[in-house]
Amino acid sequence: MFRFSLRNLLASKVRLLLTMASVAVGVAFVAGTFVLSDTMAKAFDELYAGLTAGTDVVVRSESAYDADLTTTGGQVRPVDEGLVARVRAVPGVEVAEGSVFGYALVIDSHGQPVQPGGAPTFGTSIAVDRRLSGAATIREGRAPVGLGEIVVDARTVRRAGLALGDHVDVVFEDARRTFRLVGIVGFGETDSILGATMTGFDLPTAQTVLGKTGVVDEIDVRGADGISDSTLRDRIASVLPDGVGAETGEQVAADSTDAVRDAMGVFTTVLLVFAGVSLLVGSFVIWNTFNVLVAQRRREVALLRAVGGTRRQVLTGVLLEAVVVGVISSAAGLGLGVALAAGIRQLLKLIGVDLPTTTPAIETRTVVAAFSVGVVVTCLAAVLPAWSAARIAPMEALRTAAPVNRGSGRIRHAVGWSVLAVGALMLAACSVAGDQRWWTVVATLTTFLGLVFVGPSLARGLAAVVAHARRPGWRMAARNVARSSRRAAATALALTIGLTVVAAVAVTAASLKDSVSAAVSGGNRSDLILEPEGAGMGVSSSVADLLRARTDVDAVVELREWGAQINGDDQLVTAVDTAGLDRVIDLGIASGSLDALRAGSILVSTAQARHLGVSAGESVTVTFPETGPRPFRVAGTFDKGSLINATYVITLSDFEQNVTSRLDQAILLTTPGLDPDRAKERIGAALADYPNVTVNTPQDITRKAQHSVDQLLGIVTALLLLAVVVAVLGVVNTLVLSVMERSRELGVLRAVGATRRQVRQTIRRESVLMSTLGAVTGVALGAAAGVGLARSLSEQGITTVAVPLVTLAAYVVIAIGVGVLAAVAPARRASRVDVLRAVAEE
Amino acid sequence: MRTTPAPMSAPTTGPARTTGSGEVTPAVRAVDACKVYGAGDTAVTALDDVTLDLPAGRFTAIMGPSGSGKSTLMHCLAGLDTLTSGRVLIGDTDLAALSDRERTLLRRDRLGFVFQSFNLLPTLSAEENITLPCDLAGRRPDREWFQTVVDNLALGGRLSHRPSELSGGQQQRVAVGRALISRPDVVFADEPTGALDSKAGAELLRFLRSVVDDLGQTVVMVTHDPGAAAYADSVVFLVDGRVVEELEAPTRDRVLEVMGRLAS
Ligand SMILES: Nc1ncnc2c1ncn2[C@@H]1O[C@H](COP(=O)(O)OP(=O)(O)O)[C@@H](O)[C@H]1O
Ligand SMILES: [Mg+2]
Repeated sequence: MFRFSLRNLLASKVRLLLTMASVAVGVAFVAGTFVLSDTMAKAFDELYAGLTAGTDVVVRSESAYDADLTTTGGQVRPVDEGLVARVRAVPGVEVAEGSVFGYALVIDSHGQPVQPGGAPTFGTSIAVDRRLSGAATIREGRAPVGLGEIVVDARTVRRAGLALGDHVDVVFEDARRTFRLVGIVGFGETDSILGATMTGFDLPTAQTVLGKTGVVDEIDVRGADGISDSTLRDRIASVLPDGVGAETGEQVAADSTDAVRDAMGVFTTVLLVFAGVSLLVGSFVIWNTFNVLVAQRRREVALLRAVGGTRRQVLTGVLLEAVVVGVISSAAGLGLGVALAAGIRQLLKLIGVDLPTTTPAIETRTVVAAFSVGVVVTCLAAVLPAWSAARIAPMEALRTAAPVNRGSGRIRHAVGWSVLAVGALMLAACSVAGDQRWWTVVATLTTFLGLVFVGPSLARGLAAVVAHARRPGWRMAARNVARSSRRAAATALALTIGLTVVAAVAVTAASLKDSVSAAVSGGNRSDLILEPEGAGMGVSSSVADLLRARTDVDAVVELREWGAQINGDDQLVTAVDTAGLDRVIDLGIASGSLDALRAGSILVSTAQARHLGVSAGESVTVTFPETGPRPFRVAGTFDKGSLINATYVITLSDFEQNVTSRLDQAILLTTPGLDPDRAKERIGAALADYPNVTVNTPQDITRKAQHSVDQLLGIVTALLLLAVVVAVLGVVNTLVLSVMERSRELGVLRAVGATRRQVRQTIRRESVLMSTLGAVTGVALGAAAGVGLARSLSEQGITTVAVPLVTLAAYVVIAIGVGVLAAVAPARRASRVDVLRAVAEE
Repeated sequence: MRTTPAPMSAPTTGPARTTGSGEVTPAVRAVDACKVYGAGDTAVTALDDVTLDLPAGRFTAIMGPSGSGKSTLMHCLAGLDTLTSGRVLIGDTDLAALSDRERTLLRRDRLGFVFQSFNLLPTLSAEENITLPCDLAGRRPDREWFQTVVDNLALGGRLSHRPSELSGGQQQRVAVGRALISRPDVVFADEPTGALDSKAGAELLRFLRSVVDDLGQTVVMVTHDPGAAAYADSVVFLVDGRVVEELEAPTRDRVLEVMGRLAS
């Protein structure tokens, strides 16, 4: 039986390749995701291990909870520098040095900020004891001493066009300062830490410029020979005050890696969602392929049954074939996945995230996941076809007629339309009700399930309409689609899935874009909005001071945000100047009042207030990672926070008591009496020392936000296109198989005078019909799902729903165009059938 | 003009096309036609210098033992295959001078086919199958002619049926209808009764006969059944790719006699 299966497989290499490709893409996504995240974790592991190599114990404040790296930057409350002496006095401690970190942006020789995309720009103190710096070494020059000296990482030195002895300008949280470059830092073989720019100073200088006078962020300790890290840690811990802890260097490295892994979680999830979509599409292609194969082999199987093959043997045979396909495609997918991971790494490097070099990490888990996903999906998709193969009666060997579409059962029909109707109604209900994210997903899946059932009927319906065409090409194409309506439907459904997701994303993105402009024009009262450029970490607070001193600026409102837990949930807390707040923004206060926002109170978005079940006057607990739980009184609720992306608003003074960072996320200004463009120009000129700050009119903000939505849409669509490609492979596969199946028919057609072109046209039109079916159902379902989704993302700032009809229509047209392309090879094959062989009597 | 041709009856000439001189013009001519399959040691000569005139308005049967080159000859005459050397003329048109596309159009507009089996497109109705050549040419079929053909083939009631809903005999009649719809110069039939029972076979042969007699068409039929050959006006005998004998006004017995002679 096994040999039989294998022989069947090898009989058509093209088919095998197409079938495999449809699984391999999905597997590649799964494997690629794992390889990428494992490789990154490994790289960070090695990096942190290197950095902490010379450090036995680290002393620092404990975080109130495991805060998300992306919203807190890992900042813990600094400790008093007096503690360094106390730690140094612990027996067994050989060296103990305080160190500080903070925001520091290097300005290059042309006055432009050296801004890596996404990676931090930080300054730190350079340990006097070189061994404490671990893998971070001074490659050239020497360590900095005193207020005027700086060392910079090698990558930044290169990018900024600097040389030893040059003057380097650096923007800090509180000012811009000038230094002389005395050393260049490297990290083992790597020039930078993940593309971050790093500047180093001696400790007193670092404390001054980073705003940490009299405090240190951590104390790095090296023990005397012969004392174990854990013993040392325990001894040190016993002298530390409450809230300050000691950890071994290894532990710190491991924790840092974990934190990075957590921060990558969203990224990983998104990639796995793409994997899921392409696997679903792929499973339809597999299902279809096996269905066709079984149909083509009916006589063969029947013959096998007639000579004594049992049902079980037939079933096993087909499933065995599926397993082989699954295993081969998984192996291919795994290879592709490793390449994909490398590709994404290169992509990250292009945008400035310089990953430390390391070999790709292919864990056993990745291999197991790749193979089980590939094999399971293939087998699941082949189960039904295998089952129907097993039910072929031996008698069929004697019948000569080609397999005809058995009429689908009336029950299946009724169930299908009911499921479709239920799904559609649910979708409509979700769109009307709003805030039904999960129900929208359930409704979409239900509708899709309905489509699976009624797909053949839809295919026949479409064919019936087209069959009335006068042109014989269309008529024949329609008849062929109607004849194998199940196959056509399954082929189209693969496309449906891809286009559903693409269309849903398009609707959500369009809604988001509209909401952004609505938010800016609705809640905004400011004339100018200052933001850090690109993926910058923030704007120095000295910028706000500089603006307040100007006479042409009226209100200046600083805005900061930080991660914190509200009643136990991770959230972003926004802090604002209360003075002048209602001159720059209308928060749309729904209850309570803006005036009630004072120290110790908080404004909560209406939706979150409902979620938490609190109202004005009641209390919520905000847990800051640095300082722990603090009670806040709800001053009121608001509706229109989307301009500043705020759900929780506190005062700047409360923020400063609980968060060390002084960076502004944005500064909102009013410039009464000034023409906006003129104001932009003047403020821009005044901020010449801060080239990392962009001055924007509200229109600029809208445009920037819409642009970033477009960019995101582009990336997501590009990734989803891979799923569409799989579906297109399915179309090619179906067409090739049906051309093979119909070679005699095509021969007759050619014999009675159909030109090659006419034959090609017929196949192309079949493809177009299937693509149309997939495209129209997919785009319609996706649009409906998108509306439901957009209606459920009001908290994420989607307040209006927009359906981009032109884009959706373009998707349909493109999908049909792709159908034409998919038909090229099968059509050519069809037009080359050997007329004589086709019509020769058997 | 007879309506029920009997095997025994004398040959008749239908309303043949004539040249100015009054002589019967051949609808199809083969001149020194050679067809060799393969090359070198494995080369098979399927047609060996065949020269042949098939007169218009007549019913010609091609006979011969299995493997004698009947199908090959027919395929080459019908422009489905090309000769290794020699010429085939349909009327005045030299097939060798035509491109694949031109040959296709010639088949569509000037020739008709009936094969042994699997003649029809299963997705099209009987009527659509019949009008297929016109549809492919983008022409509306001549309704009057269509009606004449359909009446002749007694297909009236079954035009909207799919091939799978027709008997074998009916399917072959639809195929004949399709072959006739564009009023071809020649209708080629390769063992058209091969897959039919004797009753349906005889019926089909009577129809082919009437196509020649009543509709003035030219029919060339390959067969190995002497009874079938007796319906024709003349029989051409092939052996090993060569024309070895031609028989006018054949009867079953005379055909059998020639076959016997050739076999020995
Ligand atoms: N495609 C082909 N390739 C090689 N030899 C062929 C091919 N078609 C026919 N032949 C050979 O040519 C000869 C004539 O075949 P054919 O015309 O089919 O004979 P008939 O129809 O009289 O039985 C036979 O010997 C046959 O084996
Ligand atoms: Mg033959």
